[in-house]
Amino acid sequence: MLVATQPMKETAPRDLFPGALEMMILESLRRQPAHGYALVQHIQQRSRNLLQVEEGSLYPALQRLLKGKLVKADWGVSSNNRRVRTYQITASGLGHLEQQISSFERMFEGIALVLTPSKSSAT
Amino acid sequence: MLFRRRKRFDDLTEEIRLHIEERAEQLMREGMRPTEAREAAHRAFGNPALLEESSREVWQWPALESVVADVRLALRQMRRSPGFALTALFTLALGIAANVIVFGVLQALVLRPVELPQADRVMTLGRTDQPYPFFSYPVVRDIRDDSKVFSAVAPYLISNFGVEANGVTRAVWGCEMGGQYFEVAGIKPFLGRLLQRADDDHPGASQAAVLAWPAWKSDFGADPNIVGKTIRINKHPYTIVGVTPEGFYGTEKFIQPSLFVPIANEESLEGTNFLESRNDPEVYSVVRLKEDVTVAQAQAELNTIAARIHRQHPEDAEKESFQLVRPGLMGDFLGSPARAFLAGVMGLAGIVLLAACANLGSLFAARTADRAREIAIRMAIGSSRSRIVRQVLVEALVIAILAGACACFLAWIAITGLANWRPPTEYPMSFHILPQPSLILMTLAISILAGVVFGAMPLRQIFKTDPNEAMKSGNAPALMLGRRRRWALRDLLLAAQIALCCVTVTAAIVSLRGLSKALSMDMGFNPKHAVLTRFELNEAGYAGESAEQFQRRVLEKVSQLPGVVAAAYASSTPLSLNAPTLDVFSQQANNLKSPNRAFAAYEYGVSPGYFAAAETTLLAGRDVSFHDTGKSPLVAVVNREFARRLFHSDAAVGRYFKNESGQPVQVVGLVADGKYLTLTEDPEPAAFVPILQNPTTGTSLIVRQRQDSSIAATSELAGAVRKAIRDLDSAVPVRESTGWSSQLGLAFFASQVATVALGLFGAFGLLLSVTGTFGLASYTVGKRLRELSIRVALGAQAEQIIAAALGRMLIVLASGAVVGMLLGVATSRVLSAIVYHASAQDPLVLGAVVLTMVLTGSLSVAGPVRRALRIDPAVLLREQ
Repeated sequence: MLVATQPMKETAPRDLFPGALEMMILESLRRQPAHGYALVQHIQQRSRNLLQVEEGSLYPALQRLLKGKLVKADWGVSSNNRRVRTYQITASGLGHLEQQISSFERMFEGIALVLTPSKSSAT
Repeated sequence: MLFRRRKRFDDLTEEIRLHIEERAEQLMREGMRPTEAREAAHRAFGNPALLEESSREVWQWPALESVVADVRLALRQMRRSPGFALTALFTLALGIAANVIVFGVLQALVLRPVELPQADRVMTLGRTDQPYPFFSYPVVRDIRDDSKVFSAVAPYLISNFGVEANGVTRAVWGCEMGGQYFEVAGIKPFLGRLLQRADDDHPGASQAAVLAWPAWKSDFGADPNIVGKTIRINKHPYTIVGVTPEGFYGTEKFIQPSLFVPIANEESLEGTNFLESRNDPEVYSVVRLKEDVTVAQAQAELNTIAARIHRQHPEDAEKESFQLVRPGLMGDFLGSPARAFLAGVMGLAGIVLLAACANLGSLFAARTADRAREIAIRMAIGSSRSRIVRQVLVEALVIAILAGACACFLAWIAITGLANWRPPTEYPMSFHILPQPSLILMTLAISILAGVVFGAMPLRQIFKTDPNEAMKSGNAPALMLGRRRRWALRDLLLAAQIALCCVTVTAAIVSLRGLSKALSMDMGFNPKHAVLTRFELNEAGYAGESAEQFQRRVLEKVSQLPGVVAAAYASSTPLSLNAPTLDVFSQQANNLKSPNRAFAAYEYGVSPGYFAAAETTLLAGRDVSFHDTGKSPLVAVVNREFARRLFHSDAAVGRYFKNESGQPVQVVGLVADGKYLTLTEDPEPAAFVPILQNPTTGTSLIVRQRQDSSIAATSELAGAVRKAIRDLDSAVPVRESTGWSSQLGLAFFASQVATVALGLFGAFGLLLSVTGTFGLASYTVGKRLRELSIRVALGAQAEQIIAAALGRMLIVLASGAVVGMLLGVATSRVLSAIVYHASAQDPLVLGAVVLTMVLTGSLSVAGPVRRALRIDPAVLLREQ
């Protein structure tokens, strides 16, 4: 399960919305091709541990991306001589990512507008 | 594509493994100990099995794929326990096959219409005043000429002819038909032409005959040049003008004639003329409705015509009333008994199937209990209960559908066999039951239903399973040690199964007993040790005086055969299909119309010595003699019922009654009552008139042997009688010459069929109870071997072992059997309608049922009991 936790607080973990994990994977792969383990590390570091990813939950998402031909995967050898399967984003993956990001940003803006107290008071 | 998928899944597994390793190495670099690191890595990863599954599901059509996986699992399970699989398949296949066969017969005989073009337009005329659909020829002719709603109307009758073809004379069943018969049927000829209206215009108009396809094939060798060939029918030459198409079996389901000739020629063929007589109901009739006429309209017109006929001919038989009936079952005469019987048999088949399902259900539930641990583990790693339920159901359905396939095959064989079977009667009956595709659908439906029924049995267990508990205790048998387990579902199922099987066994034994009683009941004559030979003299050209002389010569000749104690002949015999009746009027009656008769009595023309030959007891007076001729006063010997009805006392000898022609007839003798038409009839009056006062060319010769002769001796005598007749005149075709008992086949037909069917179901039932009991007993003993061996080690005796192992089950068996017997007694009331004298309160029956159940019960538990008694505690306890 993928949870986003608030560290040091007792609130219940909130699930990410569907597609969020795929989006983050694609973005990570856009920066640099990586294998599963590295991706997990990457996401956790970049989110400054605000996002706690159960490591295995990556794999169903990776398979979905593979099926949709948004990424491709090859066996190879990593920098520290481990046998790894490296994922790379494809062209259609890039296009899909752009779409998702802009749609996410629109959604985020909408929520933010609803939640923040009205700044635009009359003059 | 499958290889790619395999590779894909293998890649995934390896990927996951490497991931966890990498995490573990990372943790070790950070300072954790190797074991801890690996554990932590696993925890961090999550549930690999589940994740792998979810990942794989991305690539699958999940629903279909998992069902396919379930099927494969089911097949693997079956291969692993072949004993269970075969038993299950076998019992279920039998149960399903029984139902399918009965349904097939029901469909062919009752549900489907006769095989004719536009069969919904074809109907038979029936009567509402009596069950037999016979009419006088002039009445049918009136309907044909006057009606506007029928496009064709045809009278017909089925009769036996002596047919000579290629030098060989054979007894053949033929149909004398009105010229419009083939118009009613609506068929086209296969060869040549069919008979038409012109052929039936007047007596002698045509000497054309049409051959039926089955007869053409078997008796005439499928001769392609058959059209135009001449044959002799009852010594009259006829020309074959055509052959009916394959698949046409006439308009009756039970009687298939081989030959069709015009009914206008009936006098030359039958020797009597009934074409103008309104008092002789001799013919059946079929009609075809016009295109847009409804049955109601046709019925209305029939009623009008009936009223008009009665107005025009008031002196004739009482007012007839007609009705239109679906053809095929002799105007519904055979319809309701056939339907009732088939309904009963379907019920029994349903019971057998239920018992099979109960059997399978209990075995299934037992196996599922065995797999409690496996199920618990599956639930623990994340499988939902519904997933497991689905797998169990799929397993059940796989078994059920495989069993259904076997059942299909069995049913096919059985139905084809039935279609080729000739009932024990000389009448041209056969059952045309073709295996239909709809039967396969039926089999599938029943299989699925059965699968769901017994697959649902373990479900409650699954739903109640607590994974923790199950894993802790696993498959170790619960030690009873005085704690009484609640009655499990499987105990109830076993009891239900035994009860159901008991019902079928009781039904079978009741009908067997009924049949054996029927064979030895008092029919008014003794068919044992007697030969009945029947022949029709006018088929060889005899009539009147010459026929009488031939009959007497035959009588003299056979009386001299060795071993013969009595011989006589008659116009017909009791319990044959031929039962002519006589309207009896009291001596004072003047108005001799049918409605004024005192009653109708069965009439037999008999030669002197008949009562001795038939062993009918002569109670008073004298036998008929050859001095009672056509010129001397009319006399008759009557039975007690006749005397009681007419004279209200047994003192009938010397008194008079009037016959249909108004002539006074004197009663000269009194005989005991008997059965004349069916076995289950109430006492009926009968009159035996001297043969010379009621001459006939159709002869039934009875030749009796000594009391102690064997069956083989009777067969020999039958052959000798046949030879004697042939020696006198080889042109006389003998219709049948066998022991009298075997010719009563038709009267016993219904009970015999019932007994065979019930016997089969009883056998099924026994088989099922044996497998069920055996299965469960082995299972019980097998599960508790450890406990039992402890008991043995502690010094338990044989009886105690058996009580411990099987005590519970024996209680279940006993209670099931008692319930079953009570139910069986209840159902035997239903049986008594068909099987004469069927009563389950007969102590012999009850004793036989108890004995059978005890025997089979003992047989089935014998194996497991032996196994229990042979336990060597040392060996067993060491194993664990």
